[in-house]
Amino acid sequence: MATLLVGTPKGQHWLTVEGAQSLREALEETEARVPTACGGVGTCGACVVRVVSGQTNPPTAAERRKLTGEERARGLRLACQLRVEDDLEIELEQPEKPTSWVSIPLEELPPWPGLRPVAGPASYGVAVDLGTTRIRVSLWDRRQGRRIASCSGPNPQEVFGADVLNRVSTAQKDPQRGLELAGLARGAILKAIGTILAQELGDSGVQPAEIGRIVVVGNTAMLALLTGTGLPALLDPAQWQRAIDISPGDPSAWQADWHLGRAEILLPAPLAGFVGSDLLAAVVGTGLLEGPAGSLLVDVGTNTELALWDGSVLHVSSVPGGPAFEGAGLRFGLPAGPGAIAHVLPCPEGEGFTCETLGGLPPRGFCGSGLVDAVALLLGAGLLKASGRFSRPAEPGGYPLDPAISQSALSAGDVDTFQRAKAAQASAMEELLELAGLGWRDIRRLCVCGAFGRSLHVGHAQAVGLLPPVEEQRIELHGHAALAGCEWALLATDANAVLAEVASRARLVNLSLIPGWEDRYMAHLRLAPIPLESCRRVSP
Amino acid sequence: MSRAELFRTYMEAVFDTDKAAAFAVVRAALEEGMTPEQIVFELVVPATEDTMSAITKDPDANLAQHFMTAQIASEVTEWMLERFSQPPEILGRVVIGTSSGDLHSLGKRIVSGCLKSLMVDVIDLGVNVSAEQFVEAALKHDAQVIAISSMMVHTATGENGCQKVRKLLQSQGLEGQFRVIVGGAPFRFDEELYQKIGADAWAADGISAGKVITDLIRGVKP
Repeated sequence: MATLLVGTPKGQHWLTVEGAQSLREALEETEARVPTACGGVGTCGACVVRVVSGQTNPPTAAERRKLTGEERARGLRLACQLRVEDDLEIELEQPEKPTSWVSIPLEELPPWPGLRPVAGPASYGVAVDLGTTRIRVSLWDRRQGRRIASCSGPNPQEVFGADVLNRVSTAQKDPQRGLELAGLARGAILKAIGTILAQELGDSGVQPAEIGRIVVVGNTAMLALLTGTGLPALLDPAQWQRAIDISPGDPSAWQADWHLGRAEILLPAPLAGFVGSDLLAAVVGTGLLEGPAGSLLVDVGTNTELALWDGSVLHVSSVPGGPAFEGAGLRFGLPAGPGAIAHVLPCPEGEGFTCETLGGLPPRGFCGSGLVDAVALLLGAGLLKASGRFSRPAEPGGYPLDPAISQSALSAGDVDTFQRAKAAQASAMEELLELAGLGWRDIRRLCVCGAFGRSLHVGHAQAVGLLPPVEEQRIELHGHAALAGCEWALLATDANAVLAEVASRARLVNLSLIPGWEDRYMAHLRLAPIPLESCRRVSP
Repeated sequence: MSRAELFRTYMEAVFDTDKAAAFAVVRAALEEGMTPEQIVFELVVPATEDTMSAITKDPDANLAQHFMTAQIASEVTEWMLERFSQPPEILGRVVIGTSSGDLHSLGKRIVSGCLKSLMVDVIDLGVNVSAEQFVEAALKHDAQVIAISSMMVHTATGENGCQKVRKLLQSQGLEGQFRVIVGGAPFRFDEELYQKIGADAWAADGISAGKVITDLIRGVKP
């Protein structure tokens, strides 16, 4: 038994730790839990802590890789690698932020026209986009066809790892953890509904009993974790191109759980193991199938999903790019939320850069759009080369975009993580175009959804080769496309049919089975604009 | 251009991961009268080794640069191999693939490229390869080494991956005939993991995999 003293900005905690476990595990059940993106295997470096006093195991190979000698000398360790065997005093470097729900401005969602009024007592409805890192929820008055409020908040399952398969294998190995994961997601959805009902509407608002329908979309893994079904299939690649059953089983248990006795709970079927109902919803939300041939949708995330409409077939695929665009796996990175650097700008007076954060809070690290800005500006200033190497050897802590802020530093490892994520995304877009017989120049609409929200600087994304250099007016940034599509399904008479219609047009492509895809990936690793000639229309 | 200058400009191109520039140097070297054999053994292999060791010493190991360097080496080697005056002498043969349940093909791809430039014949079994397929292919192609890539903890340590390959080799009395090497992210973070799952060796990157595998081949080959 050991005693643990944990210092956080909010004060000190005393803990008693029984048996040999990692510090991360010891903190997991407490308020002082540490962030993780890799599920605790030492690959993401997100769980940095400082040892103030006490005997510890020597740094592991993973720590020698993630922390510089200078950082280790300061007592920095990775909580997932540190075993608590003796009394220990530590300080959290990046304490997990408290759960926070924020409103989605209504102008960021489409004004859905032509609604069919719904009669009856339970005429309110809720649309839910259950994302790997964020959950988005809208409340609708289906009788008047009016959106009442929308909000978003972090997915509390994040503590189990940003890597979705990590969470799935956790749930699969340990049924107790599986129940816990499902409980977290159900609890978060309930909390979002409660937030909307209480904060947005006050006491005079809608009562839970008046909610008659809930539609949930998400990636297949999130839906499987939510319902506790389909988990073995998700870990078997032979199943990934088939439909996976994620039906909620007995809905009355959920209705009771959520105190929503009248709510019809709908989970439209995902397309396959690696393409969820969220992508189908995003296709609806962006009106992709109503657009011209050459409309490409990219839903950016840890697993980036893509859909290309060629006028008759919707070519659909996904590519694991890693969680860089969601701010994980970086030395200083966090999902788009308060305190995240979302924009980096060159100083008007010439030298240097300034960092703008979401919510105007002190910077705590980069989210995806800030990372794109930082890489593009350093490249443009000649401080970074196309190979991804810094022109001058980087400082041990990385290159600070704003020297006054240590969390604005970009390390060589961050650039590497970025390069691999952007190469995965660009090569997947290219492969999909090629398969459809199209080229980069044939893109009429490029709808960018997901992790970047609407903060992405398109010019910067083009300069580093994340997006193709097509005319900028063809590129659209959608903040909440999957939620918008889910709303449309919520309002339709038959919610499942809306997404099933999209699924019926889809043709699945598994990139890892296409020979030559890796060559494209390698070619896209350099930090340089995508050559439009690298993919041409192959048929007239 | 002198040999020294060719080497220097080729090194620069590789270090800058500039494939077009590297190809331009190779063309210049051919014009200067270097043979394809000389280009591979005096330019490509030493430049790749130098660059890889520089990258490996970096505190932040940059995989993107590692990938690009290996890709240039593999493409130039393939181009030159077509022009060799006689077929190159093959050092040995490796069957390679990703483990059951794992579709991450890039690591395997890098190792294959490095092995080719070291004159090792590579039979690529693709992704999501069952333990039975690994053993059958090693027998069929008369290989010396079975190389298994796993990028996820659950596929590296799973019972259908390397562990099962070891069991099959044991039960079929083939352990003297083949060596098993593993690679991938989980092994970089736990350097003893390869032993726990029954492999003979592991390697952290393409170049060291090349060295380890050529040693393994020499250990088995009569």
